[in-house]
Amino acid sequence: MSAFWYYVFTLVFFLFDYFILAMGLNIQYGETGILNFAYIGFVAIGAYVTGAVSLPNSVGTGQHYILGWGLPFPVNLLIGGLTASAFAVIVALISLRRLRTDYLAMVLISLSLVLYDICNNFVPLFNGADGLYNVPEPMAKALHLNTNSFIWFFALVAGGISLIMWFVMSRITRSPLGRTLRAIRDDEVVAAALGKNVFRYQLTSMLIGSFYAGIGGGLLIQFGGSFNPTAWLPGETFVVFAVIIVGGVGNNWGLLIGALVVEVLLVHLPTFLPAIPGHAGLIEYIDAMLIGVLLMVMLWFRPQGLVPERLRRSPAEETTSRSTLDDFDLTEFESKIAAQSRVDSDEAGGRHEPA
Amino acid sequence: MSPLDETTTSAPLPEVALRCEGITKSFQGVSAVTGATFDVPKSQITALIGPNGAGKTTLVNILSGSMKCDGGTEFIGDVEVTNKESYEIARLGLMRTFQLSRELGGLTVLENLLVAPKHQAGESLLNIFFRPGKMKSVERANVQRALEILRTYGLYKLRDNRARELSGGQKKLLEISRAVMASPTIMLLDEPMAGVNPALIDRIGGYILDLKSQGVTLLMVEHNLNVVEKICDHVIVLAEGRTLATGRLEELRANEEVVKAYLGEVIDVNTAR
Repeated sequence: MSAFWYYVFTLVFFLFDYFILAMGLNIQYGETGILNFAYIGFVAIGAYVTGAVSLPNSVGTGQHYILGWGLPFPVNLLIGGLTASAFAVIVALISLRRLRTDYLAMVLISLSLVLYDICNNFVPLFNGADGLYNVPEPMAKALHLNTNSFIWFFALVAGGISLIMWFVMSRITRSPLGRTLRAIRDDEVVAAALGKNVFRYQLTSMLIGSFYAGIGGGLLIQFGGSFNPTAWLPGETFVVFAVIIVGGVGNNWGLLIGALVVEVLLVHLPTFLPAIPGHAGLIEYIDAMLIGVLLMVMLWFRPQGLVPERLRRSPAEETTSRSTLDDFDLTEFESKIAAQSRVDSDEAGGRHEPA
Repeated sequence: MSPLDETTTSAPLPEVALRCEGITKSFQGVSAVTGATFDVPKSQITALIGPNGAGKTTLVNILSGSMKCDGGTEFIGDVEVTNKESYEIARLGLMRTFQLSRELGGLTVLENLLVAPKHQAGESLLNIFFRPGKMKSVERANVQRALEILRTYGLYKLRDNRARELSGGQKKLLEISRAVMASPTIMLLDEPMAGVNPALIDRIGGYILDLKSQGVTLLMVEHNLNVVEKICDHVIVLAEGRTLATGRLEELRANEEVVKAYLGEVIDVNTAR
């Protein structure tokens, strides 16, 4: 495989992986209105746990980590996703019950920082600052894949998984559950006044979104074979936010476009460009600035994103003889009011004249 | 002296749908409600009136569970619901509207109504993936009912518009129709006529009478005494956070305290007519 195709399939992998990550954050933020600034923490949990259950027992590996069960793909990936969901329960119990909007966001970003410091400094957990490495490439031995062929194979696997996860997410967002989540996003006081247990739905949203984060993280560590704290600096959460803001909050297809523009074109494509002579690393900084500028431009000129949230129209049906705001007949109601006034008057012993 | 001692008595009330006793609420030491006590009779229209700052909206927020009270008790029928969560009270059949319309702006008008029914099959992940037939049949029935309600309330043509695009009056209608979609037994209407044109006031009045005829109990915060006089069976006067008097509006007009606290010159409405 030529270097060109190696790069292309690497970019294809990141496109699908960030599509999955964006779907997870979108159901939390875009559909439910939860400003989850700890999202990258859930991605990291998925990545670490997937890696730790894929690796063999840590004794003799030169690494320190828990678990070490040597589980195959995709069992390891599912465990990573489910662990991220389980972590979401803890986070939700701490933060969602009493906190709203900006306070919730601050608590979540703090939780993300705490998690980061634990993983970075507590070596027995996931090998500290070195992180996990030498994570087995899924199915590479069984299919006799070398490093190059594994790249395109796993990019396609990620594509298949993202397709399944898109299908599942679409079912959820189009269902009455999705509608209730959007109601909570728009006004949780109203949603509660309509009988919706807001905390329960927010928890559901956190569970689903965190599962997606965990799967996305699990794919990352299996694709690259390693994962360490430099891969999930808390600021990385905002890259995923940029994906959904640019693509279109509340629109699953928009997320794919957002992943293409932000993650592929702005974050990863420039890493394959030759460095500017005398200015090593400058491209990365320009990248970060471009993402910031793009976010500002989008929020200013097109806050609905490149592909806005779809208007969910009512099912088609006959449209004959319907009352509307324009053709409404007042007479009937005026007569009812007059009748009611007469009743009131009678009950009150005729103490006042009917209106 | 208990607020009830000061209450103007009238004919024996019918069955009570909603009862609150000695409700108190303060905000950082400032008392908003200082012992509101009253009964809301079943299947009747009760007006909650009082000067600005009397605590009417705070009381509606407390009764609907949107706000916790500091003291007192609240009953829906025989069930005590003091400081229950808003969704729990709503599930007992109490729906509310808001003083400033709170539409679900990103949803369409139809979707606003479709959020309202309780216990929808499609709100469960298990049903979405393992019982799609049940989910679809419930959803179909809900859509049909929502469209009928929208026809009744004159919003049918706007069903696919985002709710945030509606005018102020249309938003009032949307809030009422959304509450109706939840099949309520009690409705708290917080100034349903505020900021709407006179023709729409008559229409909303008609809808409220319709709901009464269907057996719904209504408690309505209202400043428009013409509307109160025309459609309300019973009036509760709130002043400085306590129940000043209850009874029929004509009776309350003879109550000096009520006149002093709220009615003022408005008592002359009959002569003005």
